Amino acid sequence: MSLAFLVPLFLLGVAGIVVPIIVHLTRRQRRNVVHFPSLMFLEKIPYQEQRRRRIQHWFLLSLRALALALLALAFARPFVEDTELGLGATGGPREVVVLVDQSYSMGVEDQFERSRSEARAIFDGLGPLDRASLVAFAQGARVLARSTSDRTRLRAALDTVQIGGGATRFGPALKVAQTILEESTLPSGEVYLLSDFQRNGWIGDEGVRLPPGSEFTPMPMGHEGLEENFLVTDVALPRQVVAGRERVTPSARVVRRGGTATREVTVTLEIDGQELQSRSISMVPDAATAVAFQPFTLSRPYTRGTVRIGDDALSADNARHFVVSPGAALSVLIVEGAGSSRDESLYLRRALDITADGRFRVSVRRANSVRPVDLEETDVVILNDVQIDGASAERLRAFLEAGGGVLVALAEDGGWPASAADLLPGTIGPVQDRLQGRGGRLGYLEYGHAVFEVFAGPRSGDFTGARFFRARAFEPAEGASVLARFDDGTIALAEARHGLGRLLVWTSSLDSYWTDLALQPVYLPFVHRLAEHLGGRAEARPWFTIGQVVDLANPEALETAGLVATVADGLSEGFDQVALTPSGSTIQMPAGEGPRYLPLEESGFYTVRPPGTEPERPFALAVNVDLEESNVARLDPTQLALQITAPPGSDQGALNVELAASLQREDQERRQGLWRWLLIAALGLFVAETAVSNWISRQAAGAPGVVTG
Amino acid sequence: MVTARTRGSTTGTQFLDPAVLGRIGNLQLLAKTVVDGFLTGLHRSPYLGFSIDFAEHRPYMPGDDIRRIDWRLWARTDRHYIKLFEADTNANFVVLLDVSASMSYGTHSLAKLDYARYLAACLSFFSSEQRDRVGLVTFDHEIVEYVPPSMKHLDTILHILDGAEAGRRGSLKEPLLQITELLGRKGILVLISDFYEEPDRVIEAIGPLKARGHDMIAFQVMDPAELEFPFEQASGFEDLESHEQIPVVPGKLKEDYKRMVADHLETLKTRFASNRIDYTLLDTSKPLDLALFQYLLAREAMRRTR
Repeated sequence: MSLAFLVPLFLLGVAGIVVPIIVHLTRRQRRNVVHFPSLMFLEKIPYQEQRRRRIQHWFLLSLRALALALLALAFARPFVEDTELGLGATGGPREVVVLVDQSYSMGVEDQFERSRSEARAIFDGLGPLDRASLVAFAQGARVLARSTSDRTRLRAALDTVQIGGGATRFGPALKVAQTILEESTLPSGEVYLLSDFQRNGWIGDEGVRLPPGSEFTPMPMGHEGLEENFLVTDVALPRQVVAGRERVTPSARVVRRGGTATREVTVTLEIDGQELQSRSISMVPDAATAVAFQPFTLSRPYTRGTVRIGDDALSADNARHFVVSPGAALSVLIVEGAGSSRDESLYLRRALDITADGRFRVSVRRANSVRPVDLEETDVVILNDVQIDGASAERLRAFLEAGGGVLVALAEDGGWPASAADLLPGTIGPVQDRLQGRGGRLGYLEYGHAVFEVFAGPRSGDFTGARFFRARAFEPAEGASVLARFDDGTIALAEARHGLGRLLVWTSSLDSYWTDLALQPVYLPFVHRLAEHLGGRAEARPWFTIGQVVDLANPEALETAGLVATVADGLSEGFDQVALTPSGSTIQMPAGEGPRYLPLEESGFYTVRPPGTEPERPFALAVNVDLEESNVARLDPTQLALQITAPPGSDQGALNVELAASLQREDQERRQGLWRWLLIAALGLFVAETAVSNWISRQAAGAPGVVTG
Repeated sequence: MVTARTRGSTTGTQFLDPAVLGRIGNLQLLAKTVVDGFLTGLHRSPYLGFSIDFAEHRPYMPGDDIRRIDWRLWARTDRHYIKLFEADTNANFVVLLDVSASMSYGTHSLAKLDYARYLAACLSFFSSEQRDRVGLVTFDHEIVEYVPPSMKHLDTILHILDGAEAGRRGSLKEPLLQITELLGRKGILVLISDFYEEPDRVIEAIGPLKARGHDMIAFQVMDPAELEFPFEQASGFEDLESHEQIPVVPGKLKEDYKRMVADHLETLKTRFASNRIDYTLLDTSKPLDLALFQYLLAREAMRRTR
């Protein structure tokens, strides 16, 4: 150990000690001279003169000199150099980032425990000036300890890392490591990646580039692939309405990867936590098969189900969870003109009746008006070629505002009262014939809209075969949404939103009188989509995947999640809620405005309920693992390292060592902070000097005719 | 701080400040009501002679001019009496102005010499108005300028005053002795100085003049800084005449200085009074006309006590 100075040039400031002396000796030359008429009186007064060049107050001078010396020493930033704190093998203090994979594939054998042991060993090997960060990652990355030299804290953070249900994504974790290294002031950086290096976790160059001079050390924990892995990849849940009750017939798709011989496995179906059925199947290596179960009656909402296959090395993908609820039929009211001579709603009515699960409950009214009683318990009103009166339109206005849906099929007699013209997305015009050639066709469909979204894929529904011979002209209003146009550009389907509800205008007919659309295969799903869209009915998802987030304040998201409104009051209204995770922990979601996100991070069933309540069947969400993680094909760590590290530079090493030595000295000086104490001491001396000199001045001023030096 | 006296465009009329002379004019009217005869002025002649104003009779002595025998009294008493009158001849009025270097000092608007020159000019003009013969002597350690008393020398005096400069060492004894030789006829002598000499030496210097029968009026001109010593910082004090320097730390010294100055002034006052010399201490920060007023009052008192 020895005393060293970070900025020794400031020691020249010690020469400032002579300043008080020079000032003292030269001050005589700058003395004021007062011209006075006569000194005859002053000369008579006895006076005492002392030579200025003789220093009187040695103590005062010592104080001043010492204060100046301390000031110069402080600016030179002294520190006790500890030579034992060598630069170490890596050439100086290191910024170490340890990335620990916590994806569920790390649960194979003892990979995760070994990765924790390795991380612990890395922390134990840190030098006194090194700093380390701990980042746990799966699909995302969480910094558990950031740039600290506190090993206890690092170990404690490491103990909290558990295997999750997420899939491996190296990109976010490496981005975090890059950020930590870029923000670090230490000369060298090291990144340790402890993972099983699944190929799916890296999609190529994700914009990660570690700072120059950083060292990347991949530490593979896994073995060379799994010998065998069974997984349930999908569960189909078709429904049927039998005798007014819904029956679900689950069928699971089971995959076997690897293996060497045919093997018997058991697939079980659990409903509400109880095993309902089991199937024993025989699977050859690298094969997939479908397992059909007997139907079960779906009578209660939020029925939880799980299809499970026998245990293996990677057990997280051996189960598939789902939640199903009995669906409520959509009530559709078709209003026909009272004077209509033909059955205009035949095709429409039949199309809505054809469902496996009885989704639509259709009723028909032949009248030119809509009564209030008609709108009770009704979700969708279809005005099929009818001219309603103004009062009916006002009732429909309220119906729309409350969330109902209205489809206006204009056809020949269809119309809309002028008093409620603002409800329509445009102005109805005269009949236009398309008799030339083979009639008009639909030339433009808004496939991004919910109505046509299902037809967007190839072979998902062909509207081009339908011919239109007649349609009503329709001039869209400003802001109206046009969902479909004929090939001549005129409007076929337009939409307007009012309150919570929607109103669609179909400018042709829904039977085969003006168009042969009703004779096309696409007619049935088209009508179904129209009704479902107007009724606001979204397809409920039987399960989510880990990593997804559900906004519990968004009604549409809740509907997608399968929320049954009648038993989950208050959820979308923003009341207090608490979510229970599959592992048993709770997530509080206090009341308030704005989104209330529920991150889904565990495999199993999440339940949401008002705090302090125990509903018999709470709103439940099924969450399954990402099956990409089941593919344990390995990524070459060397390739990954080449992609994220800078090419080795020839001069980087020497520069780093020099920089490291400099930074080490700075770090020692910063930690010791001797300059602060020196400054404080100098300040104290200056204060003492001021007090002493003032006291001496007062004493001197009291003496007659004395000139002090 | 020394206020250097400026020369240049100033003329003799500079000293005849109308405001100052206005005050003096009023005093002149006051004096006229007291003194018999306007033409004889305020200054009483030290000679008794044959004038138009009867003074007294005395018996005829051999050698007297027989033309002065009062024949009417001889007819009544058969005795010869000589008729005596107040002399109507004008007095000699001479200003003796000290122009030594110490007179150049001044911390106020005026240096002491400026103040003294104004005072000398006013008195000379006023005396000239009284039809006195006015003269001027400036001196430091010797006579610098001499203007003999005359009724026609006012302009010369004002010119000399205008050009008077201080810069040399001063003393009283030698120049006053020379002045005694110059002034043969008795008159009124106004001595303006700062009297930076021991009181005994001052009286000793004035002695010959007083012995020649001159009426002496002494004005001591002092700057406020000389009286109050308002200095605070330790400084080197330099004598304006000898240029000697001594280091001084004002403090307790200030009180000693003021005490010594007060003793000096008191001694001067006592000594002047015992020698029947009018003495007035003038502060350069005080108005000049106030000093003149005090002078006139003193002169009037002197006339009454004669």
